[in-house]
Amino acid sequence: MSPDWDYLIQEDRIHRSVYTSEALFRREMHSIFARTWVFVGHESEIPAAGDFVTRRLGGRAVIVTRDVHGDVHVLFNRCAHRGAKVCREDKGNARVFVCPYHSWTYDPAGRSVSVPLDYAYDADRESGKFDLLKVARVSSYRGFIFACLNPEQPALEDYLAGARQVIDEWLDRYGDGEVVVSGTQRYRIAANWKFVTDNQGDGYHPAYSHRSLLMMAASRYGDKDMQYFAADPDASRMFVKAFGNGHYYLDQRPEMHAVSAWELQRPQPGREHLEQSLAEEYGEMEAKRLLELAVGAGMNLTVFPNLLLIGNQVQLIDPLGVDQTDLYWFATTVSNLPDEVNAMRMRTQEDFPMFGEVDDVENFESCQVGLGIPEHEWVDYSRHLNSGREVVEDDGTKAPVTSDITMRTFYKEWKRLMSMGG
Amino acid sequence: MTTKKLLQQEPGPSTYVDDDYYRRLHGIAQDWSNPGPPVAPDLHHEITALLHRECRLLDDGRFEEWLDLFQEQCIYWVPSDPAPHNPGRTITWEIQDRRRLEDKIARYRTGFAFSQLPPTRTRHCLSNIEIWATGETELRVRANLTIHTYRKGERGTLACMGGYVLQGQEGGGWLIEVKQVNLIDADQAQGNISFML
Repeated sequence: MSPDWDYLIQEDRIHRSVYTSEALFRREMHSIFARTWVFVGHESEIPAAGDFVTRRLGGRAVIVTRDVHGDVHVLFNRCAHRGAKVCREDKGNARVFVCPYHSWTYDPAGRSVSVPLDYAYDADRESGKFDLLKVARVSSYRGFIFACLNPEQPALEDYLAGARQVIDEWLDRYGDGEVVVSGTQRYRIAANWKFVTDNQGDGYHPAYSHRSLLMMAASRYGDKDMQYFAADPDASRMFVKAFGNGHYYLDQRPEMHAVSAWELQRPQPGREHLEQSLAEEYGEMEAKRLLELAVGAGMNLTVFPNLLLIGNQVQLIDPLGVDQTDLYWFATTVSNLPDEVNAMRMRTQEDFPMFGEVDDVENFESCQVGLGIPEHEWVDYSRHLNSGREVVEDDGTKAPVTSDITMRTFYKEWKRLMSMGG
Repeated sequence: MTTKKLLQQEPGPSTYVDDDYYRRLHGIAQDWSNPGPPVAPDLHHEITALLHRECRLLDDGRFEEWLDLFQEQCIYWVPSDPAPHNPGRTITWEIQDRRRLEDKIARYRTGFAFSQLPPTRTRHCLSNIEIWATGETELRVRANLTIHTYRKGERGTLACMGGYVLQGQEGGGWLIEVKQVNLIDADQAQGNISFML
């Protein structure tokens, strides 16, 4: 298969088949998800030896494990014998994995521990022939676990490019506190995975898609939540920034955290009690500092292809089919924050998914339907292509917050990987 | 409660959700597997009728009247895991105090809640209703709650254990303090569950 990539991905528009073609989807699972660093989980999900979660890496069932030495492995979840799924739980702790078919047994590093009646085989267990196959490269950056099936891929830290700084700022809000995954919301959407990444850098849509949230917040509470998106976002201090390797982010902080994100936040369950309790225990100044850490970070980052930071949550995009995608929203607490501040983090992290994201998903699903029309072929991403408002910096290019530079950056990397041979 | 009040009145403070209350909710979640002796038939009938009415109001989209079945200090809770846990320590699909529950309904009433345009058509069915007393004026109810849905060409069913805590009111009658919707697949991928479960 050799599409005309320059036709599919143009300077100002993308062909609809990028979202609707089964053939292109299958190719993505090879050329993107088997070629570059893919986010598979967070270290805090598997803190202890023997801990594991099961995930998918571009459609391939994998087990993400921590062994007795503390090392993380990503194992293909198929028995070396006849291909049965070895691990059938979503998560847990196991000294060994035992295949239910013939009891072939593996340790968390994937090594064969036992093969019943192995006298009938020519090879022995030391040969490695009976081991689970592992994903070639596994690397963590400050808790984020990535896997890569391509042995030639550059190191993760280099691959992250300018996104690294954003991850650092997202984590460094908490000093030496560790971010800990504290529950998951998992959505299944009837839409291509790339609608999610497109939306992450989209500073154009909030006033319209989230109109119900803005209206409700305004009518009940006055100027709250994302009201700063409602006027002219490009005249605000927010911006987007496109990095190398397809990464980008949208920075709400210049508006959201300008004075107090806590004051801007619509009241969540427990608000008044938390304010009073923190003031009594820690004094006004420290209470104020802690309250800001209960609110979202205001950095919407995409690490190509499938890791998003949104609010205080970590999002993992798992493509199931050209028009079906799982989204994992990992909620986070922080190890050095008081319990009641972490409780408020839970409440604030529930808010946007149920009050806002659901309307985004509605749009993604409706785009999937609309792009099924063969006669109308193009998806526009030309915002600010020629407005001359980009500013080139050392690690990337800054642009007005409604600029489509974020999508253009993503698809540049998409095209580069998809058009490579092999 | 009226739509006008929801959209126009600034909500008062909400002070009851704190660590003690989270502990209470955790305890309630753990207690569903230990029902006490069933209440007398008359009371069982009365409470069943109340909950059937609750379901009917939801299915008819009469959310403001549905809110009137809840006491001021109330919780609507959809956990993100079938195993009982403390919602102060983990994310939920939803845990709404009165104020945020009103926010949810007010959002529908703006006319721009796209995830509910068109609205999910529902039929809430309650069966296997068990009711027991946990105080002079407090009742627990656990039931099988199945919610049949239709939206945009898709039919579905959410299977849940519905758990209710009811508080007897001065002068008679009962109001809902806690409604907890325990999806059998709470920890799995969900579709559009932005309607009132």
